Amino acid sequence: MAGKGGATPSTYSPSPTTQKTKSLSFGNDEVLRPDDREWHQCRPAFFQIGVVAAAAGSAYADFGSTKVIVSVFGPRESKKAMMYSDIGRLNCNVSYTNFATPVRGQAYDLGSDHKEFSSMLHKALEGATILETFPKTTVDVFALVLESGGSDLPVVISCASLALADAGIMMYDLVTSVSVSCLGKNLVLDPTLEEESYQDGSLILTCMPSRDEVTQLTITGEWSTPKINEGMKICTDACSKFSQIMKSCLKGLDSALEEEDSNVD
Amino acid sequence: MALPDASGDVLSEMDVDAFRRLFPLRFFETHLVKSTRPDGRSLAEARETSSALGAVASADGSALVKIGSTRMLAAIKMEVMTPSKESPDEGCIAIDFHMPPICSPTVRPGRPAEAAPVVSKQLSDTILRQVKCLSCCSFCGMINLKELSLISGKAAWMAYLDIYCLDADGALFDAALLSAVAAFSHLQIPVVSMNDDGKVVVLSGDHGGKEPVNKGKRKLTLSSIPLSLTCLLHKNYILADPTAEEESVMETLVTVVLDSSGQLVSLYKPGGPVLAYTSAIQDCVALTRQRARELQTILDEVTSGMEVD
Repeated sequence: MAGKGGATPSTYSPSPTTQKTKSLSFGNDEVLRPDDREWHQCRPAFFQIGVVAAAAGSAYADFGSTKVIVSVFGPRESKKAMMYSDIGRLNCNVSYTNFATPVRGQAYDLGSDHKEFSSMLHKALEGATILETFPKTTVDVFALVLESGGSDLPVVISCASLALADAGIMMYDLVTSVSVSCLGKNLVLDPTLEEESYQDGSLILTCMPSRDEVTQLTITGEWSTPKINEGMKICTDACSKFSQIMKSCLKGLDSALEEEDSNVD
Repeated sequence: MALPDASGDVLSEMDVDAFRRLFPLRFFETHLVKSTRPDGRSLAEARETSSALGAVASADGSALVKIGSTRMLAAIKMEVMTPSKESPDEGCIAIDFHMPPICSPTVRPGRPAEAAPVVSKQLSDTILRQVKCLSCCSFCGMINLKELSLISGKAAWMAYLDIYCLDADGALFDAALLSAVAAFSHLQIPVVSMNDDGKVVVLSGDHGGKEPVNKGKRKLTLSSIPLSLTCLLHKNYILADPTAEEESVMETLVTVVLDSSGQLVSLYKPGGPVLAYTSAIQDCVALTRQRARELQTILDEVTSGMEVD
């Protein structure tokens, strides 16, 4: 074995790696989800604004074990290399802490920056932000996933729109996002990391609930048309409920824990 | 508009803000003359400090520390490694300090903050240097690396300590060190056993017939805990626990680290326009001694709260 001084020794995590063998019986209707939720029930959601004093606006979101902080800086001077622009720019970045995932540093191969989520976050917010209100300048939206417990991107998106609102950036509406996983014949709302690892397909809907407009829709995996319809319905329902929680958080009404369940008839 | 040299009573709220931005140094000096600071503290007073353990569920030990609005999140993950031939019965600690772009307007993604590697190095020096000096006496460090050994020559713990700055408002090193110490005091080492492939695995619930290799070694013994205070020197004034604004206006910092017995562990004065006299340094050490007692009480409170659970 390599016992050279100086070099960091290779290490491994002693925790058992996710065993595909102990497959959950998701096909069965009577079986509840690992955290005892209904199929169409979200995890308890908690939002808080103004958590980072150094930022113009910030928000913290906590969905079960998924924990995210988003800071917004600006509007401030764009980088010199940027072309002149009549409208403002949004600059988004999503990164993970080293301890976010069950096994350390496993989040993503290319450092801690998540390029795909950064670009998805940008596209989800771009349509909702009134870029004309801050011409020639940049608004930076930086997200840090403290703990990854599933449905990371939707939580980041909702949290980011709350942080933008906290920073006083003009938007057409709050942007809320929620995901649904297809597990066998069931649709699972707001899946956890474990459920995501068994999914056949995933649907992420990002919308502005008051305006009934969708800013982003991502469907991956195996879906039938009726399933997509059902999934969209569950998601829009959940999104409008989240927007209520987020609005009351902005008004400072109750930052207490709120139970969210959206049962579809 | 006349400059508010004489007195500030005619100034409206807006003018004070403008004055603060345009003449930050004079703004601070008008306060210092009256032995006070813009946030209402006296010069030697540190900001309100609090700590919470177990903030990160996925880690083996974690702590969230707040000093004023500076916030640090520290988490330890334990992994297994093959110890080196030179020290077959010792584990290892890897310390990393991160400043993600969320913590400050000056940090941009892709361009790591300049302060981060400096604080990282200081932390490693403070926490690990003590351990290395144990060759001289029996043992005098914070953590005995021998406690991280599992099977001599075959397996030992590698403790990865990651500290994230969530909000940067000055005195980053103090907050980072406090969070590191708190995370180590919260650390619960998982019970493990050797499986048939010679790998070390966590034992779940029932032991499944396997014999645990580290029975009863769940917590590290922390002897001589290092605690620190950063002071800012400006003219003849010494400001304890500066905010980010104070650090940016007056640039001479002195960081003193003392251990539980009050002995000096390290002292950093990385340059700066003020050249300090010995008396100023002694004053900083005295302030740190006082602060270390405060911090020790805070640490004792959170750890005793943990044992009740």
